[in-house]
Amino acid sequence: MNIGTPGTSTQASGLGIMLRIVGRIQRRSALLWVLVLGASMIGTAAGVASLYDSPAKIHSYAQAVTSGNALLAINGKVEGIDSLGGVIQDEFGFMAALLLPLLGIALVARATRREEESGRLELLLGGRIARHEPTLAALLVATATIAATVALFAAGLAASGVPVAGSVLYAFSLGALAFVFAGLAALLAQLTQHARGVYLGSVLVLAASYVLRGVGDTTRTWVSWLSPLGWAEKAAPFGHQRWWTLAIPVAIGLALGVAALRLAARRDLGSALIRSGAGPQHAAARLRSPIGFAAWIHRPAILGWLAGGVLLAGMMGALAQQLLGAMAGNPALALALGVAHGRPLDGFVAATQLYLAIIAAGYLVQAIGTLRAEEAEGRLETRLSGTLSRTRWLASHTLVVLGGLNMMVLGSSLVLGLATAASVGNMAELGPTLTSGLAYLPAETVLAGLALALYGLRPRWFAIAWAGYAVVTFIAFLGPGLKFGQWVLDISPTTHVGNPPMGTVQPSALTLMGVIALILGAIGFAAFRRRGVPQG
Amino acid sequence: MTNTHFVIRTEGLTKVFGKVRALDGLDLTVRQGEVHGFLGPNGSGKSTTIRVLLGLMKATSGHAELFGRDPWQDAPRLHRRLAYVAGDVALWPALTGGQCLDILGATHTMVNKRRRAGLIERFDLDPTKRVRDYSKGNRQKVALIAALAADAELLVLDEPTSGLDPIMEQAFQQCVRDRCQDGVTVLLSSHIMGEVEALADRVSIIRRGRTVTSGTLAALRSRTRSTVHVVTVREPDGLAEAEGVADHHSEWLGGQVGSRFTVDADHLDAVIGCLHTAGIHTLTVTPPSLDALFLRNYEPAPDAVRAAEAAS
Repeated sequence: MNIGTPGTSTQASGLGIMLRIVGRIQRRSALLWVLVLGASMIGTAAGVASLYDSPAKIHSYAQAVTSGNALLAINGKVEGIDSLGGVIQDEFGFMAALLLPLLGIALVARATRREEESGRLELLLGGRIARHEPTLAALLVATATIAATVALFAAGLAASGVPVAGSVLYAFSLGALAFVFAGLAALLAQLTQHARGVYLGSVLVLAASYVLRGVGDTTRTWVSWLSPLGWAEKAAPFGHQRWWTLAIPVAIGLALGVAALRLAARRDLGSALIRSGAGPQHAAARLRSPIGFAAWIHRPAILGWLAGGVLLAGMMGALAQQLLGAMAGNPALALALGVAHGRPLDGFVAATQLYLAIIAAGYLVQAIGTLRAEEAEGRLETRLSGTLSRTRWLASHTLVVLGGLNMMVLGSSLVLGLATAASVGNMAELGPTLTSGLAYLPAETVLAGLALALYGLRPRWFAIAWAGYAVVTFIAFLGPGLKFGQWVLDISPTTHVGNPPMGTVQPSALTLMGVIALILGAIGFAAFRRRGVPQG
Repeated sequence: MTNTHFVIRTEGLTKVFGKVRALDGLDLTVRQGEVHGFLGPNGSGKSTTIRVLLGLMKATSGHAELFGRDPWQDAPRLHRRLAYVAGDVALWPALTGGQCLDILGATHTMVNKRRRAGLIERFDLDPTKRVRDYSKGNRQKVALIAALAADAELLVLDEPTSGLDPIMEQAFQQCVRDRCQDGVTVLLSSHIMGEVEALADRVSIIRRGRTVTSGTLAALRSRTRSTVHVVTVREPDGLAEAEGVADHHSEWLGGQVGSRFTVDADHLDAVIGCLHTAGIHTLTVTPPSLDALFLRNYEPAPDAVRAAEAAS
């Protein structure tokens, strides 16, 4: 795409220009989203198809996951689960509920409020662009990206042997889910003053949707119909195939989008409904110390990810007894959860700890990515022009980020341990649950080390840290269930922890990972001391 | 080669980013206690020079000294003695101006609290407002107040008045003069001639990463030509052909002669003598402005101009 071709720009409408601009800004992230989502879906489909290659195996899987409410709450209630498509929908359920809304939110927030906040939108609106056109362009580009994802999903599913009609409806239901959240983000972008507010508001709505869908599915009531995640589920692509349910998310997404466009056309540039007031005249003493200030910078991320971890831990813990009952009645369920051998309760805790480790690792990559933003926005230069040395600055941030990691691991393990103990009525589970959480610390710090090394060497390479995180997440979520080859599983540091408390932890493996993390971190520190600031 | 007399000294400084030579043999000396104007158009390497001097970037080659030490090796220790205002002021949007002042101040050695309060009043800044709600000029004020309130020996100011209104610019100039009275050295990077002219003792003009000229304003001026506008009773004898005179125009103004010309500093005395014999009615001698100095250094073919000067 070319923005400034003189020959075309004279004829193009404001919307046409805006579309090209948004397309140019978004093309890399949009492509990455489509590829990551498509790969996860096709990977899941191919994995499920090879693992459950006979009607009998599919039937036993269906029996397993429908016995009891625990998995209904997590993955959703899949109608027609007794089919290849149904198994895929169930396996992909949790990831889809998270990633597709995020796709819509991220694409729109980036192109609307973030651009306005930075002042770049003012420059464009000074030209021939009408006030509503940036929002419209953002929505159209997001819709096009969603459409590409839908096409890839449908093709991937059909290629894996899922019936075409079901594949298409399933892909559309997921696309419509993303579309609702794109419309929501567009509206929130008009109401809040900062891109951060758009993310926060949309993610809160997503969390509420998840809870409503879970409550509705486990109680088998209409409550699921209140949730966008419920609408996607009620399309029942591998069951009754209710095509008309697609109209709900499309209509609501459109309504949200139109509301956003009308607000954008009417309001002043830079204005917002929700604003912050005056603040203190002096900085508190703790803000003046490098560590205190680093803690202030990382606090929102720590609290957000901690809340996610604690929520998941509490929910899983509370469902422990139910899941155990279901597994006792059906060995296939244990197999599907990757809890094949050993004590079911240990297996359950181990699976949850792995999920919690993924949350903690995501926090680490995001927190270290904040340093890149500090540098790119020019604040690091100001920060380092005083008596604060680079090493002390980076060390303060590393300490705070690692402190946050410990808070997260201890907090969520404690909640998991207590909730599990309360659910099964045995306090003895608390100790092993805590230590199994701590055993993941070295594996998590390997990702932190990778992120630090990339930041120190070349901040522009930081996307590699996110790619690494995506690989680890994919392997951890789907590896055990889909029986990936050992060499694939071995790529992820989480594999080498040894799946505690069910498996035994190899202290030597933990030490080795700790050493690798230290080496990577040392590379980051050394490189950061040597390079220019600011550097792209 | 340590010389405490020089606060800043660079020799043959180069900095290469990929294929771009941002600095190409830059020489700069700043003496203790002076306000040194650092002039150059956008993209000429002013900010890169400052980043090298602050130890934020490492020079590709050449020599840079700050307080007689290598800024790349000793950055945090050297920063105790200076305060810096970046060209593009970036602060934390969620904090208030007052909080930012304290956080910036925490990395300076000493902040004079009375001066801080005085500066807030002088610059008319509301320290309880969030940075995200400030205009560009107000963000600039926060950085300026933080730097001026610090008890530093050296102020490094990179285009410090961008975004300030003329009243605030005046306040800024007065504040810098006050700091100079306390013996503070100032490196003032700018492309606003009036500001540099009002404050600087010496200037260095750079172009494409290289120092074009450097010296006191007086010395630079003496190298260029003054403009003379005179009305005399009689026609001055042989003025148009006199040594050092150029661009001569004259006209009859109802019984008197109006003349305009430029003259170089060496021949000013002789020319004024010549005018005196013709009977001076009014006389204006305008010294070359910094604008003229600057533009002269950026004319398309400086060699041709120099050749013309040598010929005249």
